[in-house]
Amino acid sequence: MSFWQRTLAILRKDLIAEWRTKERLSPMAFFSLLVLLVFNFSFELGGAALHEIGPGVLWSAFVFASLLGLSRSFADERENHSLDALLMAPGDRGAIYLGKMLGNLVSLLFIEVICLPFFALFFNLSPGFFLLPLLGVFVLGSACLSAAGTLFAAMSSTMRLRELLLPLLLLPMILPALISCVEATGLVLSNRFDANLFSHLKMLAVYAIVFVSLSLMLFEYAVEE
Amino acid sequence: MADDDIVIEGASKHFASFVALRSIELRIGRGQFVLLAGANGAGKSTLLRLLAGISRPSSGRVLIAGQDPQRYAEARASIGLLSHHTLLYDDLSANENLTFFARLYALPDAAQRVEEALEQVGLTEQRHRRLRGFSRGMRQRLALARATLHRPTILLLDEPFTGLDQLACDALNERLRTLKTADCTCVMVTHRLQEAAELADRLVVLGKGRICHDEAWSGSPQALIDTCAPFLGAPR
Repeated sequence: MSFWQRTLAILRKDLIAEWRTKERLSPMAFFSLLVLLVFNFSFELGGAALHEIGPGVLWSAFVFASLLGLSRSFADERENHSLDALLMAPGDRGAIYLGKMLGNLVSLLFIEVICLPFFALFFNLSPGFFLLPLLGVFVLGSACLSAAGTLFAAMSSTMRLRELLLPLLLLPMILPALISCVEATGLVLSNRFDANLFSHLKMLAVYAIVFVSLSLMLFEYAVEE
Repeated sequence: MADDDIVIEGASKHFASFVALRSIELRIGRGQFVLLAGANGAGKSTLLRLLAGISRPSSGRVLIAGQDPQRYAEARASIGLLSHHTLLYDDLSANENLTFFARLYALPDAAQRVEEALEQVGLTEQRHRRLRGFSRGMRQRLALARATLHRPTILLLDEPFTGLDQLACDALNERLRTLKTADCTCVMVTHRLQEAAELADRLVVLGKGRICHDEAWSGSPQALIDTCAPFLGAPR
């Protein structure tokens, strides 16, 4: 069986379980919408404020929602020690990482797509085709979050203080990607598609590729006790 | 020793300053049923994890059919693990669980194997029920189906009788007896010596991370309890 088939088997299993329980999606969606709502009332956003703090608000909601999802991403494997069975299966163990990472990416993208209309509504954002590149920023930014987050979630999954450790490990590590996400989102919302935007997108793509490659090599050491 | 399925050469395992296993030397021949006994914390489960390729030794080496299970997928493919943890997913049905593992092991006739496995453990009628609604006995039967789905030549058993009633224990015993006659090499860790005595043909006792007793076994359950008692700290 190829690496990709094993990856897809793990992704499929995670998506089926998540679709049935909504254990991760429900708190993630609730939290993100709550953040948008609170900021809407606190700052009376719209107009200039949209460009100044809108991107930061949006990505703060996504990052903290992703922490909720990531901390649960190995809960299924922990519950009945199923990770042992995955590690025993033949083939490259990187497939476990990639399957889990793609599952986290799909969950995060799902939340982002749900949040976008509410963001537009709360922040007085006129809908238009210029928003399409925002989806590219979402995909690349979420890939960065999921790539780093899945590795650190695996590392902290067997630890007692895992809920505390995950943000402590992850947040400093994703800071460069997060800055690019905020900057690129700000540029798209300002309808400025210049070289600056593409340099941020390139930075996000490189970050995701580097982190996925590193994680594929390090994953089996990360899950060892 | 070409017929040795399992070879452990000077394997030690440390967790920070704690030494779980110290220079273990053990060779297990094809088709042997080894009972691994010892007090709590003796290192039995750690040894099974090394054999399963889940964990790597701090020093020394473990070979399964001549290969390191950490590095060679073929070695891992020949091992099955039945533990007191089911290693299954509660939010998937019995059928989905087995199909998932069949995919991971790239079994050529996955659907047929899953069907046969469910039939062998008597769960065909419950195949579409989620595990969350299963009793402990049903879960353990499905765990056995998962552990043997890829027809392993080596079966590792870590306290497989935990939480099972007598009827379920008898059924599991019966299935293990069948595997034994099929020349499957088994290493079992259990405190239920009564059940293990009928299956084991070799007794290995671990104490403080070392092998402190190793002999071929064909005695009665009571003799096994008496033999193990000094190492387990139980009254004779």
